[in-house]
Amino acid sequence: MENTELINIWKQQNAKIEKTLAINELLLKEAINNKAKSSLKSLVKLKTSGIVAFVFYLLILGHALFYAIFNYSSALNYFIISVAIITVVNIKGFSDYIRHLNWTNNINYNGSIIEIQQQLSRLQLSIIDHAKIMCLQIPFYTTFYLSNKWFPQEVGFGYIVFQVLLTSSFIYLSYWLYKNHKPENLNKKWFRNMIAGSGGKSVMKAMEFYKEMEEFKRDDKNTST
Amino acid sequence: MDKIDKSDIFLSVVQTNKGIIYKVANSYCKNVEDRKDLVQEIIIQLWKSFDNYDDNFKYSTWMYRISLNVAISFYRKETSRKKISNLLTDGIINFPDNDYFEDKETDLGILQQMISQLKDLDKALMLLYLEEKSHKEISQIIGISETNVATKINRIKNGLKQKFTKIKNQ
Repeated sequence: MENTELINIWKQQNAKIEKTLAINELLLKEAINNKAKSSLKSLVKLKTSGIVAFVFYLLILGHALFYAIFNYSSALNYFIISVAIITVVNIKGFSDYIRHLNWTNNINYNGSIIEIQQQLSRLQLSIIDHAKIMCLQIPFYTTFYLSNKWFPQEVGFGYIVFQVLLTSSFIYLSYWLYKNHKPENLNKKWFRNMIAGSGGKSVMKAMEFYKEMEEFKRDDKNTST
Repeated sequence: MDKIDKSDIFLSVVQTNKGIIYKVANSYCKNVEDRKDLVQEIIIQLWKSFDNYDDNFKYSTWMYRISLNVAISFYRKETSRKKISNLLTDGIINFPDNDYFEDKETDLGILQQMISQLKDLDKALMLLYLEEKSHKEISQIIGISETNVATKINRIKNGLKQKFTKIKNQ
């Protein structure tokens, strides 16, 4: 079989496409005008439930924090410090999440395939870096309920030991999760389950495709030398 | 360029090169409904980058870059598919009777099937090769060296030829 034969077979469809493929100009115009919608609006529409839940949680945290400061104590205590840190971590996580979604949805496709696809894959993989920040809040869920009024002076030694062990183990868990939030762990089920909420499936695909492109580039070096 | 001018030029560019959009969508998307979504996504992305069109490149090169990039990203971007499906109820490009193009018995049908089974990047290379783009142009679109383009095309093409002959002889 000759090379030209493949090309000639492929060319058979050109005449058919020219003759039978019709562009619906009305819909085309509608599509390009619809595009004017703000990207943030379409993002909110896409991830509505996640975004609403996140905002709702931040509002609860913010409300609890301000209520505690204005009605109970303006001094730093276990509750204020814990909730403040949880709030800050969640605000950071939320803003990263929105920024990230915005980037991936507004990528400029006008570039070479390898350049754009690698950029896109890297962006999708970077969601793991953003997600790891969320792990830092874990230990503070073991301290927010403590009060300066009764801890540690009014509790027994057993409770102090229990509290120290609990908080220490959560600190370790937090550190361990933070350390293990990396693309290399995508082949582990526990990790895939953990990042499922942050678009785990597309992150997996991005990783696979990234490897494919790396291979492509490796071939490139081999053939150039 | 005012807005009316711009959209008129855009419509005419799309009209002239509609085959590119069709062939890319057809090669990357087997499902007819998904294909309509993909065509719409490609057109929206073309329109979005039309302002930054660099006239050092041909319109067809620019269209291939965007169309292939969008098609390759299409399945990895779970979220956008829902958005696009809701945007419009029907396709911008009215596809002819499916069987007409996808008859597996014809040479073209066999070739289309084989192309659609290739890996994403190999598929892009073959599409451009079959469109008789020069190695230089292919390397600009894909982003690899001309030498690599030649090597890869050769390898994929030989595989396709063998497979094609095997199917024909069955």
